[in-house]
Amino acid sequence: MAYLIPAEFVSKMVDAGEAKIFMSTRDTLIRAFMAGAILALAAVFAVTVSVQTGSPLAGAMLFPVGFIMLYLMGFDLLTGVFVLTPLAWLDRRAGVTIPGILRNWGLVFCGNFAGALTVAFMMAFVFTMGFDAPAGPVGEKLAGVGEARTVGYAAHGVSGWLTIFLRGMLCNWMVSMGVVGAMISTNVSGKVIAMWMPIMLFFYMVFEHSVVNMFLFPFALLMGGDFSVMDYLLWNEIPTALGNLVGGLAFTGLTLYSTHYKTAPKRELLQNNSFSGNKKAA
Amino acid sequence: MSLQLKAGQHSMAGRQFINQDFADFSLPSAGLLRDKGAVFAIADGIGSSQVSQLASETAVRSFILDYFATNPAWSVPHAALQVLKACHRWLYQQNKHSSYGQNPDKGYCCTFSALVLRQQQAHWIHLGDCRIYLYRNAQLSQLTRDQRSWQAGQQLLSQALGAGPEIVPEQQQLSLCAGDCFLLASDGLFDFISQPALATLLASVTASADLDQLAQQLANTALANGSDDNISVQLVQVLAVPAQSQLPGGLLASAQLPDGLLPGSLDARLPLPPLLQSGSVLDGMTVQRVLSQTNRSHLYLVALPDGTPAVLKAPSQTLANDDLYLEKLLREEWIARRVHSPYVLRAAQPDSGAQAMAPRSAIYSLFAYIEGQTLAQWRLQQATPDLQQVLGIIEQTGKALQALHRAEILHQDIRPQNVMLDAQGQVCVIDFGAARLAGLQSDQEVAGDIPGTALFTAPEYFTGQAGSCQSDLYSLAALCYYLLTGQSPYGPDIARCKNLPAQQRLSYQPIVGRHNDWPQWLDLTLQKALQVDPAKRYQHLSEFLYDLRQPNPLLGRELTLQAAYPLRLWQCLCYLQALLILWLLVV
Repeated sequence: MAYLIPAEFVSKMVDAGEAKIFMSTRDTLIRAFMAGAILALAAVFAVTVSVQTGSPLAGAMLFPVGFIMLYLMGFDLLTGVFVLTPLAWLDRRAGVTIPGILRNWGLVFCGNFAGALTVAFMMAFVFTMGFDAPAGPVGEKLAGVGEARTVGYAAHGVSGWLTIFLRGMLCNWMVSMGVVGAMISTNVSGKVIAMWMPIMLFFYMVFEHSVVNMFLFPFALLMGGDFSVMDYLLWNEIPTALGNLVGGLAFTGLTLYSTHYKTAPKRELLQNNSFSGNKKAA
Repeated sequence: MSLQLKAGQHSMAGRQFINQDFADFSLPSAGLLRDKGAVFAIADGIGSSQVSQLASETAVRSFILDYFATNPAWSVPHAALQVLKACHRWLYQQNKHSSYGQNPDKGYCCTFSALVLRQQQAHWIHLGDCRIYLYRNAQLSQLTRDQRSWQAGQQLLSQALGAGPEIVPEQQQLSLCAGDCFLLASDGLFDFISQPALATLLASVTASADLDQLAQQLANTALANGSDDNISVQLVQVLAVPAQSQLPGGLLASAQLPDGLLPGSLDARLPLPPLLQSGSVLDGMTVQRVLSQTNRSHLYLVALPDGTPAVLKAPSQTLANDDLYLEKLLREEWIARRVHSPYVLRAAQPDSGAQAMAPRSAIYSLFAYIEGQTLAQWRLQQATPDLQQVLGIIEQTGKALQALHRAEILHQDIRPQNVMLDAQGQVCVIDFGAARLAGLQSDQEVAGDIPGTALFTAPEYFTGQAGSCQSDLYSLAALCYYLLTGQSPYGPDIARCKNLPAQQRLSYQPIVGRHNDWPQWLDLTLQKALQVDPAKRYQHLSEFLYDLRQPNPLLGRELTLQAAYPLRLWQCLCYLQALLILWLLVV
């Protein structure tokens, strides 16, 4: 059977979270770098598809290939560890501490950023023949994304900041559904289907993904986008990352953990009554 | 395919009045043959004694009988050695308490050689000057070495069963091949038939040959060649050897678990149990409640047909094709049935007199139900744990490990989640999923993944070394440290150190000062048990358990320079002296 019952895959989530906290620095960085790079490449691919076909839906439908590739290769995104590692802490696994979790997040953030920056630089070079020619329609489109989604939010002040925060929450609700969904199945086709749905949804809805943005905005800056690094950090990356953290943890991690992993004690109480004769206590 | 053997033997007095040799063998049926193997033993009583025929017969008979009675978890060399040593001690005591006490040459003494063929291996244990030969690929080679010495122009035995307080038998093993032929013989045979002649005779052995007849023919040839000693010979022919890919214990493929519940081959093995819920019935047992469901296994509290509570451990559905995992799951109950200790989880037993359990319809293990909490849960309830209570828990866990180690089983996964504590404060070690059995070891497991959990697993596992009793000791000491402090002795970093240099850079974080009541020497004890290098830890669990209660004066003492670096110290002194002499010469 290529399917895990909920209690099984939630225990797998907690185990995975614990394993990530105890992962060596080297491995954490390598896996995070590759994840950031592959996701960035997938973003370029998706934008290329949507520009060339004129249909954003086509781009969104094909974007999940990046996420699927990196997940199948065992690489880690910041959005994934946001959801998984706190579960190990909640489950009071020995040796799992808040500093340990923060360390993991920090390393994954750095790794993702470095990977996305690498691809951003490589793609900027490719699109412009080594900064010697115009970028073409895809390059222009990518370069234009940055401005609207930084200065655009800033124009609305606190409401703008909250908007991007909420978009971040919505994004990682979906993305972490992809991460967790992949755990439900034990074969590749099942994992691919489970990941495809939520990732496609988030990309088409233009929710804010902190790692995708690590590529989009530095790329836009490289292509001469009219916003500053500070604009990017304050009005995009930071609220997005915070939104990703809250959304993923609240809507996916904690809900699954509390309903499927911590159900046992409640049942125990009910069942204790049944020992005293009340067999059908339900 | 299982191991298939054919054997024959002959023993005669020859030109002597009495036959002081004794030879016997046991070829058990399928289950026992796979677990313990077939045993062939030959003994030759010493000629100077009038009673040594009793010694040789006793040795052979009791070796065969006792070998099959040893714990199936023991490895063959260990079991053979223990049995032979017991046999030797008995004969030695008989000599001491008889009129032969002063003169063992006249007492109950004999040579002894035994061959055990189990699965793909041949093991032999040898003392004295009987011989074991292997005939393979038309070549005859002598496997044992004669333990003889020359004294005053006379050839004497250097070791014999029953003579001297201690014996050091020769023990070796080799891999079997189909077509191998083993020959065990006393000196009355091989001293009178040359090795090439023996090889020629063995070349005529075919699959259909009558080995008893051939053994008799060999003995008669020796007699005809002038043998003046007793002549004994055993022949063993290996017809088929089991394939290497067979799983170690073969529990999955065998009918070995209690009640003969499993069919005969891997292809026709039992299915996984369905997903059970409270109230479900499986093989006459009623599920009371679901204890836990993880991606590895499902635990259910069930009531046996007679109402006894038990824990049913079923594999997770996703592992249906993981034969090694399923094998280990079945092996857990196998271990629980064979290790008898109040501190080790028992297998589920219906009350005596109750109706027999229904045959199993699925793959699962059944254990006794322990009412209590795991140490992980217990630790969470203790703000500052009581030192004496923790030491009590560790001592009991240590006794559980000692019981397992005596059966040559390494637990390999001692951690708070795997130790239960009941309301009376009694400890019970559970979960043998990562256990390694010397008797059932397979290559697959040796090359497999790291057992246990990062913080409690001994560092040597991460660098690819095999575990030992010291590895379990490390886990036990780490458990003690965790129960006292709630932390790991090297912090969480230990889990990230996957090579030796990184591990050696770790520093032990002392517990002294965290609590006023804790004695300072406790740190020394824990530190020694938690050394990264297993050779630097306590060599025996009992030493560690003793040192937990008593300060060990040897531990705290700073080594003097001379004790720590004797060679270096004298070398330095010599260099200084040489320099001084040179300087004096110059001045």
